Amino acid sequence: MPDHDLLAEYKRREFLQLLGSGAALTLPVQLGAAETLVRVRLERDGTVLALTGKVDMGQGARTLLTQCVAEELRVPAGKVRLLMGDTAAVPDDGGTWASLTTPETVPIMRAAAAKVRGGAVTPPSEWKVLGRSTPNVNGRAIVTGALRYASDLKEDGMWHGVILRPPSYHGSLVAVDASKAAALPEVKVVREGEFLGVAAPTRERAAEAARLIEAQWKEQPLPALEEMFTLFRQKAAAPVENNETRYPPLIRQGDAGTALAAAARRNQSSYTLAPVSHVPLETRSAIASFGGDGSLTIRTGKQAPFLIRGEVAKALGIEETKVRLIVSEIGGGFGSKQRADVEIEAARLARACGRTVRVHWSRAEEFVWSAPRPAALIEIESGVDANGRLSAWRHRNYNAGAPGLKLPYSIPHHSNEFWRTPAPLRQGSYRSLAATGNNFARESHIDEWAHLLKRDPLEFRLANIEDSRLKEALEKAAALFGWKGPKPGVGLACNLEKNARLALFVELDAAGKEVKVRRMAGVGDFGAALNPSNLQAQFEGALIQGLGGALFERFAFDARTEISRSLADYRLPRFSDLPEIKVEIIDRRDIPAAGAGESPITLPAPAIAAALFTLTGERKRALPLLG
Amino acid sequence: MARFELTVNGRRHKIDAPPEATLLDVLRDSLGLTGTKYGCGEGLCGACTVLIGGKAAPSCVTPAASVAGRAVTTIEGLAAGGKPHPVQQAFLEKEAFQCGYCTPGMILEAVDLLKKTPKPTDSAIRGAFEGHICRCGSHPRIIEAVRLAAQRSNRA
Repeated sequence: MPDHDLLAEYKRREFLQLLGSGAALTLPVQLGAAETLVRVRLERDGTVLALTGKVDMGQGARTLLTQCVAEELRVPAGKVRLLMGDTAAVPDDGGTWASLTTPETVPIMRAAAAKVRGGAVTPPSEWKVLGRSTPNVNGRAIVTGALRYASDLKEDGMWHGVILRPPSYHGSLVAVDASKAAALPEVKVVREGEFLGVAAPTRERAAEAARLIEAQWKEQPLPALEEMFTLFRQKAAAPVENNETRYPPLIRQGDAGTALAAAARRNQSSYTLAPVSHVPLETRSAIASFGGDGSLTIRTGKQAPFLIRGEVAKALGIEETKVRLIVSEIGGGFGSKQRADVEIEAARLARACGRTVRVHWSRAEEFVWSAPRPAALIEIESGVDANGRLSAWRHRNYNAGAPGLKLPYSIPHHSNEFWRTPAPLRQGSYRSLAATGNNFARESHIDEWAHLLKRDPLEFRLANIEDSRLKEALEKAAALFGWKGPKPGVGLACNLEKNARLALFVELDAAGKEVKVRRMAGVGDFGAALNPSNLQAQFEGALIQGLGGALFERFAFDARTEISRSLADYRLPRFSDLPEIKVEIIDRRDIPAAGAGESPITLPAPAIAAALFTLTGERKRALPLLG
Repeated sequence: MARFELTVNGRRHKIDAPPEATLLDVLRDSLGLTGTKYGCGEGLCGACTVLIGGKAAPSCVTPAASVAGRAVTTIEGLAAGGKPHPVQQAFLEKEAFQCGYCTPGMILEAVDLLKKTPKPTDSAIRGAFEGHICRCGSHPRIIEAVRLAAQRSNRA
């Protein structure tokens, strides 16, 4: 189909006469019952402006949504200007999380752009842009250092804020003597309840003032990790069935209790995960400025502009409509940048000193004051029938969450449960949420069965899976890896998570002082591969990040002293840890695309644990595996 | 306040900075060169990497005053006359980045490596980048980009 000259096409219609020849061409787009907004707009200079509340933190949303518009409007991607994450200008597309951009926002953007063109959404068989590897639209800016992230932004007359925090993990502010700090020229100390901060024209002066503030905190004790697991069992509440929520906390079929009692053979194991830190390479930063009319503008690199705008408004006691939040480029998120924190700090200081204030967290603050992935205790009890087929399965996740509870295996009687419990650590969203823990436990348990029954772990899985796409992913991954049956140092894992079918085979190298992963071969079926190159990058990137959580990442803590505060005491994957990685995508053009930003991270831990078992004969059920 | 001169990307600058100011602070705050990033402030992540006298160095643990009289190159100074440096071009072609925050540091480290070792082995590449974190997991493509840049400069 030849490219249209869109401007010519519109001139043929009546709009131009209605709007006047000097006007930008704007078509309101009716989306859903109540929504009428301009999401895609043809500009006079021949470019296209498109709007989304989603943001990009490296996962490729900008390029993907640009592709959607370019495809439907038959323009080169370079002609599309995508405005992301400015609450004053874009629709609320929800937070950028839960791998939703691809399944939800892509169709919305395609429909909006197609409507402007005046035709139906383009079918995959006619795609010219979607389905093709498209480079990151910010690539040139990235390699030249021109791309500006939240912590790179600056405003005239901006002051710098430093927040005072307790030396212990939890602490409440008891007493403050800020007299020495307040005596410095151009320094403003702000105390509002538990909040204690200082702002000054330069970072150095703010830091100096902070050092001069004497604050006393009442420490609150913190149990050790092992004690937390006991606490979880004691205090957890059984789930209430609710299938209307995104992550149902109770997924059941048949009668697991009876089926367990009737099983020919049973197995029961407990698995635990330590908390891990996100360690985005860019620590969070926000600039807050108040206008003369009391309106507040925040510039920050966060994943959920509208949610955070609301949280800031509430914390400051301002109407939400008076707050504008503008998301900048983000140096890594992984789930850690979804809630208001540094924005509220900057806004409090800005309000108190009547100036624009920037707060930029140090790496230590990023470790201690952001919310790690929750610690998890997972108990699985299961049974097989006389034919060695899985007949009963009860999976109980304490504390970490419901994501990933759904079984990829077909087991007639099952109960998969999330038991919520109070937790003494800060905890929050982390790439794939509880699915990493749930898949580690489930796949480890499957591997235990394969060994108990003396079956090939690939064959055992295939015998208990009905989903043909998952079976194909497993078989393709086996071929990619060169699987020839069980062998020392080799392990596998699979998952069906957020509509992605995934399989991973790993081989360990145990020759050296420390166990290393020598190679990984993974296959993913995400439906249509809308940007194959980016999809591959997400798959590889999630595998590499997952390696860390599998082998050595652990957010360490006790009440006061042994807290991970520095890269010197938090090990994460580096170039020397990199295995050879082969990844293959099964591209099913006619199946709506699933998100891929999270699910692959659920594979490394159980595959590596299974491989480790073949070498040592000792089953490790706690992450990180190397202690 | 300390006063000294710095040569950055071929230009001389008169700097007025607190004595404890790091080179990273001066580059970003005094000179507005934000391509060099803060990642940890301890020299453990590589995001702050610049070239000092052509050699890769962590600017976050380098006192600014100690660099007086030496040539500093930041990511902004690599492209000669608007044309991307071969390493930048290789990173672009291999899409060796996701969020891009680690990229300036990676590129400068690669420039240093290829000057010292024009034909690095994969093992040498990994070794050179051990001090650099990429949390997004672009390691495989970063290695490919360095290999591509090496191949091209060896053909030239």
